[in-house]
Amino acid sequence: MDELTVGILVTVGLLFAVFLGVRVFVAAAIAGMVGLVAMIGWDAGAGIVGTIPHSKSANYVLSVLPMFILIGFIAFHAGLTHSLFNAAKAWVGWVPGGLAVASVFATAGFAAVSGASTATAAVFSRVAIPYMLEYKYDRRLAAGVVAAGGTLASLIPPSAILVIYAIIVEESVGALILAAFIPGVISAIIYAALIIAQCWMKPELGPSVPSPPLMERIKTLPGTLPIVAVVVIIFSAMMMGWATPTEAGSLGASVILAIALVNGMKWASLQEALMETAKLTAMIFSLIWGVLIFVRFLGFAGLPEAFATWIVGLPFPPIVIMIFILLGYAVLGMFMDAIGMLLLTLPVVYPAVVALGYDPVWFGIIVVKMCEVCLITPPVGLNCYVVSAVRPDIPLGDVFKGIFPFFLADAATIGLFLAFPGLILWLPSLIGA
Amino acid sequence: MSAGTGQPPGAASEVRVEDLSPGAAMLHRVDERFFAFEKLLNYISALVILGIMVIGTVQVIGRVAFRQPIYGYSDMIEQIMTVFAFLAIAYTQRLGGHVRMELILGRMSGRVLYFFEVIGTLCAIGIIVILAYYGYTHFLRAFEFGDTTIDVNMPIWPSKLMVPLAFSVLIVRLFIQLVGFLRLFMHPNEQMIGVPRMETVDDMAQAEIDAGLAGEAEKVDIVNRSGGPA
Repeated sequence: MDELTVGILVTVGLLFAVFLGVRVFVAAAIAGMVGLVAMIGWDAGAGIVGTIPHSKSANYVLSVLPMFILIGFIAFHAGLTHSLFNAAKAWVGWVPGGLAVASVFATAGFAAVSGASTATAAVFSRVAIPYMLEYKYDRRLAAGVVAAGGTLASLIPPSAILVIYAIIVEESVGALILAAFIPGVISAIIYAALIIAQCWMKPELGPSVPSPPLMERIKTLPGTLPIVAVVVIIFSAMMMGWATPTEAGSLGASVILAIALVNGMKWASLQEALMETAKLTAMIFSLIWGVLIFVRFLGFAGLPEAFATWIVGLPFPPIVIMIFILLGYAVLGMFMDAIGMLLLTLPVVYPAVVALGYDPVWFGIIVVKMCEVCLITPPVGLNCYVVSAVRPDIPLGDVFKGIFPFFLADAATIGLFLAFPGLILWLPSLIGA
Repeated sequence: MSAGTGQPPGAASEVRVEDLSPGAAMLHRVDERFFAFEKLLNYISALVILGIMVIGTVQVIGRVAFRQPIYGYSDMIEQIMTVFAFLAIAYTQRLGGHVRMELILGRMSGRVLYFFEVIGTLCAIGIIVILAYYGYTHFLRAFEFGDTTIDVNMPIWPSKLMVPLAFSVLIVRLFIQLVGFLRLFMHPNEQMIGVPRMETVDDMAQAEIDAGLAGEAEKVDIVNRSGGPA
């Protein structure tokens, strides 16, 4: 059997095991182990595989992951969600659909201290929806905007998923963090524009609310300062290189923790947040080394190169192939969570995408955005599910109806990034200069 | 695919101990005791994460404000990070927190389901035993040769020891799980003991809601409220 055949057989075996419900880190490690042993024998194969969990985990770059995850868990204790919504309400409430627009900007702001999309949707269901309903906003719009706003959390740094992408494709974490910023802001602006257009045409969907006097508005700002601090810390560190992502993440987490403690966070809650962080970290590290065992084997088998050659040889323009790849992710995203999906597919898909001439950083942002879209599409659409769970008065069907325009907006946003890659690549290109 | 974050499904509070046969009661006790140990390891991992946050903050403030970085900071982080990379692996396994796809498994029930759970657990035991053994030899080489880090010459072996240690704990956990699934394979209608429960959409949603509403006074419990959203 030649190496490529072994590669294909083992990959099919891996997919089979994953579909039958074997934990992904186990399935990937077994596949990599079996493949390597088949190609280079037991001693060499098992010897290589045995070193991978340690050598791939003891990597300074990865130490940013628990920091980003921790910021996310603590941020919910810092009272920032209410301050952000109050500030956004005071400043943009006057536009058509003002409270919905405020919800978008509040979730976008909160995304700067959180990478947890669904949890963000959950808390804003509690923070923003009651106000919108009080002002007689359309139920579906209110639910849709919160479910969609939540998806900004993974796109706008800090988010673990961007770091995981960077690690798997061996790109700079800093570049991914910088690259995600403008697309996150654009996504928020497109959501806001969509709401304003809808409510301008049909004012009964969401009336504007009068702005308070300037002094009142200014008083809403100090509550949002911790967010500004974290954004400044993380982005200036990445731009100017005065701190590594881990250091910036540590400092950001300390700032948010201090705010949370001032806000009355108890030791028991901190313990709980830490325990959840440790558990999620263990899960992500297991996936990373498991998949990297498989990746080591793939390298030996030459499968990614073969796949890339095949893709490039297809008689279609790259953009068509790219659209098919993205549609593939949309389908996969129905059955898998984002981290598992990325780790399983990227080792093979990524070299092909690069061979097609696409930029690795650009593709990372597109793929993360795709993962987020999967959180608002049926069959599960976890963000929608959670909004409906927190607000039992809004049935799931209504949330899906409310989210549909936002789904179209996301499709348009991805189209925009396909047409103008510079929107993503401009900011990271500045650090090279 | 799911990555559960809730409380231990099938943990103490949910099991009706008085209905268990002596063997099952024993399994339940072993599971509970071992879970307490796993929880302790997760707690250590959690404290290390908090420590990394503090050290990172001191490092960056020290370096930027006082031009006084911590000596050997990045070596230290690289050595200690295997604690949080591995130590909680068994705890996460017990809670069903390791990602898997439940698209097909979720449609199975009874004996068929438990058959595949047994197979999956056996797969995990097989690979983890191999990785633990070779992880141990990897540690032994570093220990015998006295390998150190490049920057500040810290010994590497403690960090390498973490891998076979954590994997050994995971192997014990997987054996408890294996016994649990074998028992269920034989008696599919019995209570679930010592095994992670399949995660429903409600469980996933509940975990996210718990995280999201952590700072809010009023909580939402969808599991005890007739089956989640309409």
